[in-house]
Amino acid sequence: MLDLASRDDVAAPDTGGLVTLIETIEALSATRTISEVADVIRKAARRISGADGVAFVLRDNDKCWYFDEDAIGPLWKGKRFPLTACISGWAMLNRQTVVIPDIYLDDRIPHDAYRPTFVKSLVMTPVRMEDPVAAIGAYWAESHTPSPEVVQKLQVMARATASALESGRLHDSLVDARHHGTFLLQELDHRVKNTLAIVQSISRQTLRASPSPETFAEVFENRLLALSQAHELLTRRSWGRAALHEILEKALAPFSPELAERFDIIGPALTFSAETSVSVHMTLHELAVNAAKHGALTTPEGRVVIRWTVDEGAAPPMLTLTWREVGGPAVSGPPERRGFGTQMIERGLARDLGGKATLDFTPQGVVYTLRAPLSQRMSLAA
Amino acid sequence: MKSSKVMIVEDEALVAMMVEDMLGDLGCEVAGSFGAVTDALAWLGSGEPTPDGAVLDVNIGGEMVFPVAEALREQGVPFVFATGYGDLPRKGFESIEVLAKPINVGALRKAVDKFQPDE
Repeated sequence: MLDLASRDDVAAPDTGGLVTLIETIEALSATRTISEVADVIRKAARRISGADGVAFVLRDNDKCWYFDEDAIGPLWKGKRFPLTACISGWAMLNRQTVVIPDIYLDDRIPHDAYRPTFVKSLVMTPVRMEDPVAAIGAYWAESHTPSPEVVQKLQVMARATASALESGRLHDSLVDARHHGTFLLQELDHRVKNTLAIVQSISRQTLRASPSPETFAEVFENRLLALSQAHELLTRRSWGRAALHEILEKALAPFSPELAERFDIIGPALTFSAETSVSVHMTLHELAVNAAKHGALTTPEGRVVIRWTVDEGAAPPMLTLTWREVGGPAVSGPPERRGFGTQMIERGLARDLGGKATLDFTPQGVVYTLRAPLSQRMSLAA
Repeated sequence: MKSSKVMIVEDEALVAMMVEDMLGDLGCEVAGSFGAVTDALAWLGSGEPTPDGAVLDVNIGGEMVFPVAEALREQGVPFVFATGYGDLPRKGFESIEVLAKPINVGALRKAVDKFQPDE
């Protein structure tokens, strides 16, 4: 930025302050923040206008904020007044430059606010005429009418200030956008790594329970597909919350093209946080795989009743969800070894939600029961 | 040699199950496995025997794990972080080792080798 103050040392004549005005416009074009803009105006506006004081006023909603000043005596720096109670507000609201040769003869001036100051006359010009965001005021210690040239120079400066503020705003939004982009990339990196850790977990534990490479490939791929579907739902929701009805539909679709043919789904609208909805999806997948392999989905008439209720009287409100298989083959008891699927069913979701899950092998069929408190991770839909 | 009792704080159940599984392979016992900061803190303050070490995920369902790390440090329990964040800001815990996710069993082994059980 140009050091305008040092121009006092320059011997060359500055006819009518034009050189200063041009240099000010150049300096304004290099500013990036409101403070920098104010700094340029504070240093230059008095010299350009020949005034005894200048103020740079920002519009702050319905207030005028006397942001900065340079004057022979104190004005109102740092103070805020209602737009309707000061002349800078009048200039901004009426979108016009106002020239007041004697402030004590003008009703628009709040005389009490001016009495402690040196001001007797002024020019106030809004910045960004079509929708003012600021104003520049020039003040004199005597009653007088500033020349049209002075008013014109102040208006030129106001126009340059408007474009400086606008390019500052654009610059800020570009910087924000770039930061946001960097943030998104970091977040993506984190999510990818977390997802890879989940894949690592699935592969490791599937391998442990697989008697042959063929079984491993089949079971692992099905789990990978379930995980992929869970993510598809999350992406569709911009990684926001997912509804239980939607998750059920997605997770169970591979097991029954028409959901209602095999599944009775009864419960209030419930949503899960992005992370938890992956666990919900995977748990449902494992339950359905078991049902398709050993349980109700192995017979033509078998069904699964999925029902949940929320006890809102409890503190915190408590969810009870059951997956009850009916019409399948008689169940003789729990399996001999508890594999990864069973572990996932019994521990995964319950752990995520801070609740308890049980898997009972009743003679009529498998019953999975989950009891967990509502929280940020699981809540009733608004 | 006595097996180390290791605490796990990890909000992703599937990842927690894997860490438990890996620790088992490394000859450790799981002292406690928690999916929420409050649960982990409650357990540490409950008078249970202190674990020999801990593996802590950093972002626990949007909450930072640092209060748990603080409590472990006060009790003199060694711990490592396990996180998917490449560049993790961890003010006050800069010297603590960070295991990247997905988890390398070799790196986990080196970390738990430093968790010495009390005789």
